[in-house]
Amino acid sequence: MKTFEYARPSTVAEAVALLEQHGPDAELLAGGTDLVIEMRNAWKVPKVVIDLKRIDELRPAIRENGQWISISSTTVMTDIAEDARIQKYFPALVESAVVVGSVQIRARATLAGNICNGSPAADTAPPLLIYRAVVAIAGPAGRHKIPIDDFIVGPGKVALGRGELVTGIELPIPRQPIGAAYTRLTRRRGTDLASITLCCSVEEGGVARIAYGSVGPRAVLVEDSSGVLADPGAPDERKSEILDEVFADASPSLRSMRASPDYRRAMLRVLGARALQTAIDRFGDAS
Amino acid sequence: MKADGIGAAAHRLGGIGRVTGHQQYLADIRLADMLHVKLVKLDCARARIVSVDKSAAEQVPGVRLIMTADDLPQPVPRFGPQFQDRPILADGETKYHGEPVAAVAADTKEAAEEAARLVVVEHEVLEGGVFSVADALDPGAPLVQDPSIRADDQWARTNILREHRFGWGDVDAQEADLVIENLYEFPMVTHFAIEPHGFMAAPDGEGIAVWSTIQHPYLLQKTIGKLLKLPLSKVRVFAPDPGGGFGGKQNPKLEPLVAYIALHTGRPARLVLTLEETFQAVRRASAEVTVRTGLNSDGTLVFEDFECNFLIGAYVDIADRVVTKGSYLAAGPYRVPAVRIVARGILSHTTPSTAFRGFGIPQVTWARESNLDEGARALGIDRLEIRLHNLAEKGEEFVPGDTPADGHWVQSVQRAAELIGWDQPLAPGRGRGIALGLKSGPTTGLSYSTVRLLADGSVLVFSGTSDMGQGARTVFAQIASQELGVPLDRISVVMGDSSVVPYDQQTSASRSSVLMGTAVFNACLDIRNKLTALIAARFEVPESDISIEGGVVRIPDVEMTITEALQAGLGPLGGELVGNGEMRKDKDPSHPLGGSAAFFEFNTTAIELEVDPGTGEITILRHITVGDVGTALNPLQVAGQDEGAAIMGLGHTLMEHYIFDEDGRIRNLGAIDYRIPTSMDLPLQMRSDSIENADGPGPYGVKGISEGALLAVSPAVGSAVTEATGLIIRDLPLTPQRVWEAMTERA
Ligand SMILES: Cc1cc2nc3c(=O)[nH]c(=O)nc-3n(C[C@H](O)[C@H](O)[C@H](O)COP(=O)(O)OP(=O)(O)OC[C@H]3O[C@@H](n4cnc5c(N)ncnc54)[C@H](O)[C@@H]3O)c2cc1C
Repeated sequence: MKTFEYARPSTVAEAVALLEQHGPDAELLAGGTDLVIEMRNAWKVPKVVIDLKRIDELRPAIRENGQWISISSTTVMTDIAEDARIQKYFPALVESAVVVGSVQIRARATLAGNICNGSPAADTAPPLLIYRAVVAIAGPAGRHKIPIDDFIVGPGKVALGRGELVTGIELPIPRQPIGAAYTRLTRRRGTDLASITLCCSVEEGGVARIAYGSVGPRAVLVEDSSGVLADPGAPDERKSEILDEVFADASPSLRSMRASPDYRRAMLRVLGARALQTAIDRFGDAS
Repeated sequence: MKADGIGAAAHRLGGIGRVTGHQQYLADIRLADMLHVKLVKLDCARARIVSVDKSAAEQVPGVRLIMTADDLPQPVPRFGPQFQDRPILADGETKYHGEPVAAVAADTKEAAEEAARLVVVEHEVLEGGVFSVADALDPGAPLVQDPSIRADDQWARTNILREHRFGWGDVDAQEADLVIENLYEFPMVTHFAIEPHGFMAAPDGEGIAVWSTIQHPYLLQKTIGKLLKLPLSKVRVFAPDPGGGFGGKQNPKLEPLVAYIALHTGRPARLVLTLEETFQAVRRASAEVTVRTGLNSDGTLVFEDFECNFLIGAYVDIADRVVTKGSYLAAGPYRVPAVRIVARGILSHTTPSTAFRGFGIPQVTWARESNLDEGARALGIDRLEIRLHNLAEKGEEFVPGDTPADGHWVQSVQRAAELIGWDQPLAPGRGRGIALGLKSGPTTGLSYSTVRLLADGSVLVFSGTSDMGQGARTVFAQIASQELGVPLDRISVVMGDSSVVPYDQQTSASRSSVLMGTAVFNACLDIRNKLTALIAARFEVPESDISIEGGVVRIPDVEMTITEALQAGLGPLGGELVGNGEMRKDKDPSHPLGGSAAFFEFNTTAIELEVDPGTGEITILRHITVGDVGTALNPLQVAGQDEGAAIMGLGHTLMEHYIFDEDGRIRNLGAIDYRIPTSMDLPLQMRSDSIENADGPGPYGVKGISEGALLAVSPAVGSAVTEATGLIIRDLPLTPQRVWEAMTERA
């Protein structure tokens, strides 16, 4: 690994200033489970590494104000998975957090890092899309929030300008019953990067939403308001037609070693139908 | 004596240090003034090296040497355990992805890494690389090996290293009711030892000291001595306990390079490979095995006809031996009247293959056992039944001219069948499989041991075996404990220093308990004899009146501990007793393998699983593995070896394989896209058991055990998948995608 300078700001403002000063020469460090590997492989060669872990403002990790749950950008997967409020309101996010890496990785890996890294296979992206997450950003021009769907751009790309960083991810507490489920396709059960990530929800009014990733440049969100997908009694052929449309935009890599395009396409259907069933069951339990 | 001696489930000597990080692995050793070495490699497989520009790399502060083939004696020295074919650094041409072209030595690891990136190797990628058996046998294919390396050899102008023919009876004259013929493929897989391969060397007076994570330190000593023209007494090899070897660390690889760097610079030098580099250094030979099985309608085997093509890679290493030992027992533990085996080692522009747990047997077992199941299905005979029907009985010379069956193998088969519940009804969607594996142990061997009984009655055992996690230290200490009546905590086992520890041929082929175990046993016997002589003189009794048993020495009217007897015998000056032991199994030039099997490793594996009809994913519900071990010197370690081997077998069965691009680059270098089983991928239930009849050739009737549980995993799983799904897949690994593709093709 090439040597670099290491900075450990104690306020967001300081971090923003450092980021603005060094621009593309700087990298933010949260858990480092992506960054350190990228540096080891010389895919990223920052001159300055800015560590976010000692910023007081980014604690406590998880806060609730009745309408929102906010997860600060230094919160790790283990803490998310163990939080009773997140388990209650956002079980599919927990399902995605508990499959990231291994015990050791989850004790380091942050939710914000998972999204900011911009991997099309990021496990938490589909549930964040489903739960309508909003990303809180601080920068030289002050603070603002943008929906997760606008924040995720493409491989390695998120909507952050020079000097900007993510301070947290906020989730609106659902006011109406919702059933959601997360699942993924991997080559083995232990630590693996997913060939498909997929989250489904079923909500009041027969709305079904499906977010899926790892089969294109970024995780995408599709909504079905025909009522068919959410309807436990709808005939399989009808569901099948709609699922065809839902997954029409999938463009799995032709060169990937992890899964062939045919297999990924077929598995979208298999996992999609299974997750949908779980979501329907959970919706039934919730309402 | 059960607490510490033979049969005790004694805890691992050095086990706590190993799991708490206190054990000194090679990479933990720091020498003063040490240089760090980094390899320079090309991102292609087969290329002609035009020139090497060191100028930018030399500017990196701390760089002391950039060594290329031109800096070595000319012609570039070559070495290898079977052929002298592996150059110290690529010689004019790279022959596989990752072959080292140059090496940078610098004061720091970072400087070495940076400089290695800056070395510019002008090269021309050569078309027509040989990456498969078909490529290699194409008449237009380039020759992987320079024909001058085996000039007089009939195969020198082909990519076939050698062709071997074994067998007995006349296959063509046999008449069978049913003949089943199929081709089975076995993937290229790597050892994936957790400890990376590492090498160090330092000038040492008029000689050299070399450190290595090696399994065969004495072969390394010989190799370095020959290359550097030094007597063995001037080559000191340190072999700290490796963190896993599995065969990958048997033979010298990069030690000679590091030794030249140390001599060139006059400083200690160290190279520790990354995991990615390890993939490019060691692998198992992939294989294409065609088998024709002739059966009578009652399930009797009439003939077996094998063609085994092993893709061995760019340099031979020990691969020709893998080919012969792997294929010689292709017909397995069965009584077969006629067997024909044609086996070839085929050179290719890929990582040189080497020894790997099972040594060629898993590749052939996948084919034989799977084909036998196809025969059984076609004949409507139960798969367990057909095996029992043909299985050799104890004492039967099932391979004419070789060691007769050395165990009641039927007991292991029946135990496994019982444990899996072969006769129990099967739940819908599930499948079971049962398969037998047989491997011959060492065919030659030479081990020496020295045991010192010190004045206070504690013991030092000297053994040249490498303890890479298999627990050799523990077992040798248990033997000494049993024979000298000394508790384990007063015994130390000294290994890994060629200047201190006497010669051992190698640590391989599950040999050490039998061969080195006998040497340790004999050394203890030598001590007992010397002690008897001492006591006889001291107490003026005839030797025949003295008995030593369980640590107690008895002479008429007197009983004392071994320590008391020793101290009485040694007198006021003290001192110690030194015992020497040896175990030798000589070459038999008339035998096709150079010697009969010292013992057989026999295993039965039984599996129950289910297959997800949507995704093709396999869930192993139960995995039973039963070995015929002779005597379990330490049952805990037997179970540990069985479980490790079984899980390793699941790796190549379910997920492991190298993936290449069209130009012979390994695409899945490293841990992200080369998948090995994790704890979450294990069978929901795994059980190992042993058949013990004390019928092995080692002390207390022990046989070797460390490979058996791997041999038959693939065919047992494959057979169960067929029962669960009706699909037959003859190509490993059985990844979810591959199973799904088979399901889709059928639909
Ligand atoms: C063995 C292993 C297994 C893994 N398995 C999985 C898996 O199963 N699923 C999965 O999705 N991922 C997996 N990962 C990837 C990784 O662990 C996750 O993406 C993790 O969530 C990244 O978080 P981090 O805190 O470690 O990020 P870091 O590595 O610290 O940062 C990642 C990137 O995001 C940027 N960044 C971090 N925080 C901020 C911020 N607040 N504002 C702006 N930019 C920021 C960094 O500059 C960097 O570019 C695995 C990684 C490893 C090593």
